[in-house]
Amino acid sequence: MGATVLASQTAPVTADDRERFQALAEEHLDSLFRAALRLTRNRTRAEDLLQETFLRAWRSFHTFKPGTNARAWLYKILMNAYIDGYRKATREPEIVDHEDVDEFYLYTKVQESDDFRRAGDPEEVLLARLMDADVKGALDSLPDAFREVVILADIEGFSYKEIADLLRIPIGTVMSRLHRGRRQLQVKLWEYAKRAHYVNADKPPAGSGGR
Amino acid sequence: MTELDCEQVLQLVWQFLDGEMDDTRYLEIQAHIAACAECGPRYQFQRRLLALVELKCREGPVPTELKRRLFRLLEE
Ligand SMILES: [Zn+2]
Repeated sequence: MGATVLASQTAPVTADDRERFQALAEEHLDSLFRAALRLTRNRTRAEDLLQETFLRAWRSFHTFKPGTNARAWLYKILMNAYIDGYRKATREPEIVDHEDVDEFYLYTKVQESDDFRRAGDPEEVLLARLMDADVKGALDSLPDAFREVVILADIEGFSYKEIADLLRIPIGTVMSRLHRGRRQLQVKLWEYAKRAHYVNADKPPAGSGGR
Repeated sequence: MTELDCEQVLQLVWQFLDGEMDDTRYLEIQAHIAACAECGPRYQFQRRLLALVELKCREGPVPTELKRRLFRLLEE
């Protein structure tokens, strides 16, 4: 595959096209690669996905209207390539939701932990101790449907509406997946915090009944 | 619009932090969390959590070799 598909380019390619495309790609390549890394969770596959995105973008560059949102256009291509070739076929995955988990899971855990409370500013201590690998690992562990929206919102900074367009799902679905994804992310982050012995005890508060 | 109580304010935390609400509501919540000892620290924590996720997931630039390979594809 790869370069041979370029032969199917319809309009004749001018040096000017190539230059404009190079400038556009140059500007967005780093963030596309970051998104590809998080989406595929694997460097080799991320490189493949980036190349596929790059080629698809070049092939359809004649459809791009200068002055419109280049970033959204490129991410649309990235997400399509990802959905076509990298995401598992499962449509709406059955999702184990932590219904007992609220939006403030991590904050509550930190407040309840004697270990953290002993450190003057418990929230600061927790956040400062979470390493890159913890956060990436927590994100990687989310179900695809949640992971995608969290990546697009929290790392790539897209709005609910933009994410709805990128994934072709209703805004309400974006919101529920994002909010549930962030809840699960907090559960994972707390697990990492404990596993790494940042915390010794995870005692439920008196009267809460535990889990 | 009726005034929001703490429970309602807390439910809107993501929409607030994502900037996904109208100005009137945004200002109402902003005033509420500035004054409320229950909601204020929780909002503050979530804001830092989101910032942390963004920060910890940063990556370096695309490897030079990969970039070179991609741009070479345009020459063919
Ligand atoms: Zn309140």
